[in-house]
Amino acid sequence: MALQASERSAITPGPGFRLSRGLLTVSIAVILLFAVGAVLAPTSVDHSALLGMLPFAAVLAIAAVGQTLVVQQGGIDLSVPGAVSLAVVITTHQPAGDDDKLLGALVFGLAVAIGFGIVNGLLIGWRRLNPIVATLGVNALMYAVVLGISGGSPRRTTQLLREVAGGVTFGIPHSVYFGVVVVALAAMVMKTTVGGRRFEAIGANPAAAAATGLPVTRYRAAAYIWAQVLYWLAGVLLAGIIAQPTAFQGDAYLLPSVAAVVLGGTSLLGGRGFLVPTAIAAVFLSQLEQFVLALGVSFAIRTLVEAAALTVGVALYTVDWAAVRRRFAGRRTAATA
Amino acid sequence: MINQSQETALTAAPPTMALQGISKSYAAVAALTDVSLEVLPGEVHALLGENGAGKSTLMGVASGTVIPDRGTITVLGETVDELTPGLATRMGIAIVHQHPAVLPDMTVAENIAVAVPERFLHGDRRAAMRGILDRVGCTAHLQDRVGNLSIAQKHLLELAKAMAVEPRLLILDEPTAPLDRDSVGLLFDLVRSAARQGTAVVYITHRLAEVRELADRVTVLRDGHHSGTAVVGDVTDEELLAMIVGRRLEYTFPAKQHTSGDEPPVLTVEGLSGDGFSDVSFTARQGEIIGVAGVLGNGQSELLRALAGLAAWHSGGIVIGGRRVNRRRLHRSSAYMPADRHHEGLMMSMSVRENAALTALDRLGAGRFVSRRREVAVVGAELAGLNVKAATLETPVTSLSGGNQQKVVMARSLLGKPDILLADEPTQGVDVGARAEIYRILREVSGSGVPVVVASSDAKELEGLCDRVIVLSRGHVVAELAGDEVTEERMIRAAIESTAHKRAEEHRTTGSRLSPVWRRRLEGDYTPVLILAGVMLLLGAYIYAQNDRYLLPFNVTSVMLLVSALGFIALGQTVALMTGGIDLSVGPLSGFLVVVGSFFFTDGHSGQMLVLGLVLMAALAASTGLVNGSLIRFGKFTPVAATLATYIALQGFSYLLRDTPGGLISTAVTDVITLTIGPVPIAFIVLVVLAFGMEFLLRTTRWGRNIRAVGSDEESARRLGVRSTRTIIAGYVVVSLFAFLGALILLAQLGIGDPAQGVSYTLNSIAAVVLGGTSLLGGRGTFVGTVLGTGLIVQLLNATTFLGLSQTWQYLFQGALIVIAALVYSQARGTGRTAESATR
Repeated sequence: MALQASERSAITPGPGFRLSRGLLTVSIAVILLFAVGAVLAPTSVDHSALLGMLPFAAVLAIAAVGQTLVVQQGGIDLSVPGAVSLAVVITTHQPAGDDDKLLGALVFGLAVAIGFGIVNGLLIGWRRLNPIVATLGVNALMYAVVLGISGGSPRRTTQLLREVAGGVTFGIPHSVYFGVVVVALAAMVMKTTVGGRRFEAIGANPAAAAATGLPVTRYRAAAYIWAQVLYWLAGVLLAGIIAQPTAFQGDAYLLPSVAAVVLGGTSLLGGRGFLVPTAIAAVFLSQLEQFVLALGVSFAIRTLVEAAALTVGVALYTVDWAAVRRRFAGRRTAATA
Repeated sequence: MINQSQETALTAAPPTMALQGISKSYAAVAALTDVSLEVLPGEVHALLGENGAGKSTLMGVASGTVIPDRGTITVLGETVDELTPGLATRMGIAIVHQHPAVLPDMTVAENIAVAVPERFLHGDRRAAMRGILDRVGCTAHLQDRVGNLSIAQKHLLELAKAMAVEPRLLILDEPTAPLDRDSVGLLFDLVRSAARQGTAVVYITHRLAEVRELADRVTVLRDGHHSGTAVVGDVTDEELLAMIVGRRLEYTFPAKQHTSGDEPPVLTVEGLSGDGFSDVSFTARQGEIIGVAGVLGNGQSELLRALAGLAAWHSGGIVIGGRRVNRRRLHRSSAYMPADRHHEGLMMSMSVRENAALTALDRLGAGRFVSRRREVAVVGAELAGLNVKAATLETPVTSLSGGNQQKVVMARSLLGKPDILLADEPTQGVDVGARAEIYRILREVSGSGVPVVVASSDAKELEGLCDRVIVLSRGHVVAELAGDEVTEERMIRAAIESTAHKRAEEHRTTGSRLSPVWRRRLEGDYTPVLILAGVMLLLGAYIYAQNDRYLLPFNVTSVMLLVSALGFIALGQTVALMTGGIDLSVGPLSGFLVVVGSFFFTDGHSGQMLVLGLVLMAALAASTGLVNGSLIRFGKFTPVAATLATYIALQGFSYLLRDTPGGLISTAVTDVITLTIGPVPIAFIVLVVLAFGMEFLLRTTRWGRNIRAVGSDEESARRLGVRSTRTIIAGYVVVSLFAFLGALILLAQLGIGDPAQGVSYTLNSIAAVVLGGTSLLGGRGTFVGTVLGTGLIVQLLNATTFLGLSQTWQYLFQGALIVIAALVYSQARGTGRTAESATR
């Protein structure tokens, strides 16, 4: 229903790609981190250090992208540890070292992940439970399955998985390929498909999306299911990277996944989700750890640096810096007057 | 009619309030220009005027919430330089808002306690409160939760609070809108008796009948100007109407449709009734724009939402283009332009293109993919057709003017190829130039055969735009105007001469077959406590039946000590959740404090060192709370982000102090902390006493009520004078101090400073609080419930060892318990507050 389009001036399409504040911030942060690392602690950026860091960065990136999907719909997913651990345990214990059984274990693991995603989605989408409570409970249930399968003991993964997930081609660890493909795919689906665009719009303003006739609850629930699929993949990769993963391997991914989401510029209150920045933030967090490690400082300092990075990162987004500047400028003029 | 003696009395007394030459502008738009108003003691002064004439702004000035640009305020002969809400209350000015400032999660009694100072509650508090409610005919029970009351009851509660402070000046903003006939009668009696006792009453209304029945004098505002003041007995309805209408227009309307009357009907609404409107019928013929007129909030928006399929209707039907449609279909095929663009219209963080394309995504490419080229072409053409002014398609929609934002909403609506277009206040916040274009576009859409329904509180706009107008009053159609009858005067006359009343609203009965007493109990804060106690007893009995060593003193003592450690931390978490926040840092904080303590409580230290250690631990805890609270309130961090940052930092500090476990705690200290009376540790007794103490503080002191008020509804709390920032920061300090108490028990249990310990207490404390029935949405919960929730978690962990079950069962029980508890509690609380409102 374009009305008399010919006689009116068209609007210029504008750039096809827009640099978000989150992407800009984390990109600069990563570049700075590598630059500072090269000067202060060259061992943090050498080949072996990167080979050590990148696989875990890829796993974190995949899990954090899953968390982003949930957070952008105004939720939060505390079931990351259970989900990752469950995927690890199923892919290591089911085949018990037998390559032939690996595929079956992967399919089974994926089905279980989707099942728990549906539970989360039902509880939060339709029963309208608070996401913190629901995913906290589901996390415990997932750990029950983890212990039921593993009895708490670690087991080696199969040779095949070690090669597929833990191998190196052209000097780059396989998990990095997985990570890049998954993040790119997720970002592309989000930007170019009908479902992805609607998903983004619902996150940005659920009330307005409902007013245009979109089924908000269904999309919100879907976020938890897709998130579980991504956690599953993260867990499978982890099972291949680590020689003998424990039953509690996922515990180390909850807080970093939330931190990466926040550093990527997605608000914990929901709204616009930033997938690529989140993935880069995951690299940042992983490299930060590598850098501080190479500096030879203690775990304590490393943790404190992480906390500082998180605080500064959040403050960059939340604080109205223009207002702060005005206020200080105002104070100074008041003082001189 | 006022008799002579009364009139002389009125003129002799000094005015209770005099406003002189008041002007107020918002961003270059004048809301009030040189308005004066005098209200005398003992008079009821009606304030009339169209929507947006400035009535509410003027009363905002009178009650201190709006600071005028110019003009003077005189109260009882004394000039007030700056009137604040607090000062206004102290001077005896009470206002009953159109939207009641009530706290949904608190009971009626607690709402009264927050708003009404102690000195007005004479004698027995409960009797006094009951009396306050009875005076206004509010039948709500003192223990009813306000969120569950009907709108009318909420208004009566608001009125009761205002009347209770025996005001000198009482301002009522459209008080009868939500009330049924009986309540209105009672309200009028109340206002009359207050006036007889010398209270000055300002009565904002749109209804001439009410002015005639109640008021002594009347002041009319028009377009922010003083249009006239008169003694009610001396003016006719015609004269009043002339004072109200007659605003000049600065924009033009497109020519109206010339209907012959035999065009096919495109929309037929038959006896439609729903929440907020009843028995609405009208027919739109091809090319006709239908207007919905009336005083703001008389069911227009609700009717439009129903027509858009966004709200259900109880009876009646809608026929579009000869087809009867159901709500589901309507929801998909209608285009709805909301009055509140920011909340319901636009994705403010997204670009113009993304906003406009949302409804057309399906046909912008092949399959499930969207072609960017097609999108740019189609969206660009539509926006250009509507003459949207934006730098590029990628410009964020926030940077557009109000008029252009509205056009983006229109573009989206039209791109969806809707079967029907609903526009609620389409020109609100839109500049003059864009208005004319929006009218033109609506006319064109209507001409193309799509039914267009426009609701507006601006009768002049409907007069210029619409071919047919229905006037709603309290949800009923009081007039249907067509052709030459569509005039501002006819619409306003129909609206203000209406005497329709709301039908008596019953107590909300959401499918509940329970008697009120039981419903109240079930919705009460202490229901979870009873459920938990029952579950714990059953579980205990079962374990004891399986294994009789379960109740040996040794086990009882150790369970109680475990409960104490987690319990203190969970009590703190309860405070955080009560304010509507969350504190993830409690676990690492308690671990950190144990590490700090391990430097002071080892063997061979003097008593002074011990005291120093305690003081230091408490101080560190308090400062952690301050940091959390400040990040949230001043840094605008979400509670999760803020406490996640401190969570990580505290872990860092723990490892900074000790990178491996060290510092054996002296047994003398451990013995003191684990001292028991019989099998019961003193720490446990302290926990229970503190829980009851906190419960008491929460229910009876101003601090406790403020905490819950802020968590329940921060905006209402602020209007009631609660300092939310201070309350919340103090709340987080309390949270941390409880973590300090928990750390003392941990100190004895661990016996060593271990930097890796404590972390798990964060999630366990949240689980305990949730089990105890505290809502994560803030505002409601109990400390006693938290202790029981803690008890149940510890009991479960303990049970698995006595029943010889594996860790699997531990997790299974814990997970199932949390999910089931959350489901049960959310069911018991009903649908009053949903996750949707929590995300706001």
